Amino acid sequence: MRLHARALDLEAVMESGREVPPAPDLVRARLLARARAVVATADAKPPLAVMAVMRPATREWRIAVAAAVTLALAAAGATAALRARAPRSPEVDPTARRSSEAPRVPASASQPPTEKPAPPSASRSRPTRLHRSVFPQESYAAELGLLQRAQSDYASHDFPDALVLVGEHARRFPNGRMAEERDALRVRSLANMGRGDEARHALADFAKHFPHSALLPRLRQSAHASEDYFP
Amino acid sequence: MGQLRQVRSVAPTDDAETTCLGAYERELDYLLVTLRRLSASPSDVEDLAQEVFLVLHRNWSTLDRTRPLRPYIFGVAFRIVCAHRRRRGREVPSAYMEAEDQATGPEGLLQSKESVELVMAALDTVPLQRRAVVIMHDLDGVPIVEVAARLSLTRFGAYARLRKARGEMASALRRLLGERGR
Repeated sequence: MRLHARALDLEAVMESGREVPPAPDLVRARLLARARAVVATADAKPPLAVMAVMRPATREWRIAVAAAVTLALAAAGATAALRARAPRSPEVDPTARRSSEAPRVPASASQPPTEKPAPPSASRSRPTRLHRSVFPQESYAAELGLLQRAQSDYASHDFPDALVLVGEHARRFPNGRMAEERDALRVRSLANMGRGDEARHALADFAKHFPHSALLPRLRQSAHASEDYFP
Repeated sequence: MGQLRQVRSVAPTDDAETTCLGAYERELDYLLVTLRRLSASPSDVEDLAQEVFLVLHRNWSTLDRTRPLRPYIFGVAFRIVCAHRRRRGREVPSAYMEAEDQATGPEGLLQSKESVELVMAALDTVPLQRRAVVIMHDLDGVPIVEVAARLSLTRFGAYARLRKARGEMASALRRLLGERGR
């Protein structure tokens, strides 16, 4: 009724709408973990990051590179066309022909296909580079997936399963990017299970490893709350 | 290529990343409540917040950090919510009132909490383009010039939307309070 009395006072009602309530711990931890994964992935792809901060002057380089690639592709196409018309020598094996499709063949374009196989280092370097660029991202994705499952278990009050997943995360990614969130989840899971001593130990470890963590005050609160519930 | 190496040095970038994360962490509560005010459904809020972070992270190196960050975050959030709505192709009414009502009975609600609910429900009745102006100016306290700049409006357009939105808010509040009074 009191509220009704000031119903038409828009300003008074709007005043209360200005409050910014704190986000739940779990949501906050989840979002920060996702944000950290983005930063980690960006770090794992330095060429893209460099491209993002390139100055306009470097566009000329890009155009030059694009033109060079186009020319190389055109030369390769012409070579392939000439080769298709030329009589095939029986001694050429198919693997050697494949290696001749590399762009750097314009000089021998009119020659019959007596190609040498590509140097082994060139054929080896490509898969190695791919493996290097993909592996960290997969690792982060796996780390994130594992932690999200643990958080989901925690959210559904399945604390033992959450602890199992937290343990698995610790085993697979002892120094992972989301170690902070993982250890925080361990403290909360232990506290909610009533394992006060272990929760306190986990909290002490957490404070030792992440003394400046934003999660620390809230973890202390939840640990104290658990002491009240489970003395 | 030597030029490219000069552009990116490891230490400042790491520091910038940390600062970007730190700013995101500091403004996370504000971002989440802003997304809810813009009627993002609770199930979408986290994904939309992540999209906002991606934009923030992408533009962090070019951002003028001497200015307040919240108006920038609001502008990004507003555009992302608009794009999200376009993708969905329909208006998504917020479930804010229903969710809160299920959680707590009318008698148990504190007065201030009820007022927050009312504001959120009244905001839901204002079309998004005008709602953004009223949230930024009346709730976040951003000057109208900054509001106009962030939402790509003229100053006159921003004032016009603000006036109309306030009228819509007032009528919505009257109606909601009338319904609750019954």
